[in-house]
Amino acid sequence: MSNTLKATKLDFSLVKPYIKVIGFTMLLPIAFAAINRSILTGVSFAMCFIAMTTGYTFSVTEKNSMERLYGILPIKKSEMVTGRYLFVLALGALALVVSLITQPIVLRVMGESVGAFDMISAAIGGLFLFALYTVFQIPGYYKYGAIKGRVFMYIPVAGFLATLFFLPKMPADNPIVATVVSSPVLLIGLVLVLVAVMYAVSIWFSIRIMENKEM
Amino acid sequence: MTNYLEVKNLSKSFDSFQLHNISFTLPKGYIMGLIGPNGSGKTTTIKLILNMLKRNGGEIKIMGLDNIADEQKAKSELGVVFDTNYFSDDWQVTQVEKSISVFYPNWKSERFAEMLRKFHIAPTKKVKELSKGMQMKLMLACAFSYDAKLLILDEPTSGLDPVSRDELLQILSEYIEDGEHSVLFSTHITGDLERAADYITYISYGELFFSGSKDEFVDMFRIVKGGTEELSADLKEKAVGVRTFPTGFEALVKAEDTGAFSSLSIEPATIDEIVVFTSKKGDDYE
Amino acid sequence: MKLIISNVSGIPIYEQIKQQVKAAILSGELKEDEALPSLRTLAKDLKISVLTVTRAYTELEQEGFVKNVQGRGCFVMGRGSELMREQLICKVENGLTDAIKAARIADLPNEELHRLLDILLEANKDD
Repeated sequence: MSNTLKATKLDFSLVKPYIKVIGFTMLLPIAFAAINRSILTGVSFAMCFIAMTTGYTFSVTEKNSMERLYGILPIKKSEMVTGRYLFVLALGALALVVSLITQPIVLRVMGESVGAFDMISAAIGGLFLFALYTVFQIPGYYKYGAIKGRVFMYIPVAGFLATLFFLPKMPADNPIVATVVSSPVLLIGLVLVLVAVMYAVSIWFSIRIMENKEM
Repeated sequence: MTNYLEVKNLSKSFDSFQLHNISFTLPKGYIMGLIGPNGSGKTTTIKLILNMLKRNGGEIKIMGLDNIADEQKAKSELGVVFDTNYFSDDWQVTQVEKSISVFYPNWKSERFAEMLRKFHIAPTKKVKELSKGMQMKLMLACAFSYDAKLLILDEPTSGLDPVSRDELLQILSEYIEDGEHSVLFSTHITGDLERAADYITYISYGELFFSGSKDEFVDMFRIVKGGTEELSADLKEKAVGVRTFPTGFEALVKAEDTGAFSSLSIEPATIDEIVVFTSKKGDDYE
Repeated sequence: MKLIISNVSGIPIYEQIKQQVKAAILSGELKEDEALPSLRTLAKDLKISVLTVTRAYTELEQEGFVKNVQGRGCFVMGRGSELMREQLICKVENGLTDAIKAARIADLPNEELHRLLDILLEANKDD
């Protein structure tokens, strides 16, 4: 097993005390999905809640002064950081899967129809949201610690809400926008590429912060 | 002579503190005490060895490997004990093994289990349920499980009772008994080192005061005692430090300078006394 | 063999080890070719540093009392008790020479010196 995956496993063992809370954050959004009768709502909330739990690995590390353990273990800083991102992505993926399984069931029981298109757009939207929430947060945690890093989570939320506000006001006759919106495959591809780039940049920043950090 | 730790001209600058040109060598099979008053740079030195702080100058070799270029390889031979444990409080002892062992190719589970038995640590207990002494032994148990060749301890006995401190020294003596392991023991409780340490490196306010054999260090000084009238100007000048009180005085004097004062009481100095007298202290001391 | 280290005697520990080993050789407690305790084990048992024991053993070897065989240990040399005895006789000579010098300064006649020696021998008979 590569060192990066060992670091991911280590992170899982750090959040064990919070398993119940994390489980709860994955199931609570079902209520929101039901209230709004929309899987997109449910998934959005799920991603938002799970993104808020990314701070646990940082707070547990800080509480126990475990940065010393990371200083002792034979592992590169880049591997530690990448391992943590994998952990965060794994949690996000898990929350997404749980949402996409449980919420349609509840919605169908309520009489709402949930088609493939709804599921896919919810999945893509959820992925993008999760990326937005986490790519700023994690470097923030690395640089400023578990408590101050929290702040970074609210910046993209504000930005996202602002975009939601301005998006309907954008000219719909822009040729590029029209092409993208009309082709779902292109849209999905674009989102995936964007997310990949966001994470790559975020990881790069986090590694640089950690390599320059004095423990 | 194989050297397990070589520190050359190590320097580090902080805003309020400078570690300046620290050099020392720890050969295979011996215990070195790293001593000095609180805040003198001992923990900084250890953190620099572990590359937890970036050095401003100098060179560090662990088992012949550069501590930055070959950081991972070097760290797989290194065991570290800090004054407080670095595990998650919530982990059970068994979880500690699960979490740490994967990083060390030489980890032997039987050895870990044997160490737990020897130290009377119940595997099902959580780290936070262990006493401070047990937590310290848990860090040791981990280091022994992958047969760390160099053990670095930073203030491992602070907060421990004399029985636990004695147990630790016993464990360390057994650890170096085969001649294939070394120990760097940083402490301000120098009594622990009086007998067991082979080498002493004394860092005082960021500067290297001495590095060499403990016997040589202790032999460099004597304690001269006498009545108040016997404290001559010559003695005051020659002494490294003097403590006066109503009924007399005690002075730390270099052994080679004691000839002139042979009429007074001359005793061997302990490591403690040397450190106390050589670190500028309060009003009683000059 | 018995080895007891005192922290308070003021005599360096390596010196104490040397003295006791020599005494054991002289009394026959340690015989020729017998092994001294393993250096590191002795250090551990007495809770003293390995370097200190090493110094004691090295000096004993330099003075001809033991031989250090690489990888096997330290063994008592056959001439041990002889050497020890020679050293002690040397000590007696030095002591007597000092006594004679002091007697000269004090203008003590030789017969007085002999008398003093007999009295002291009698007094120390049971030592």
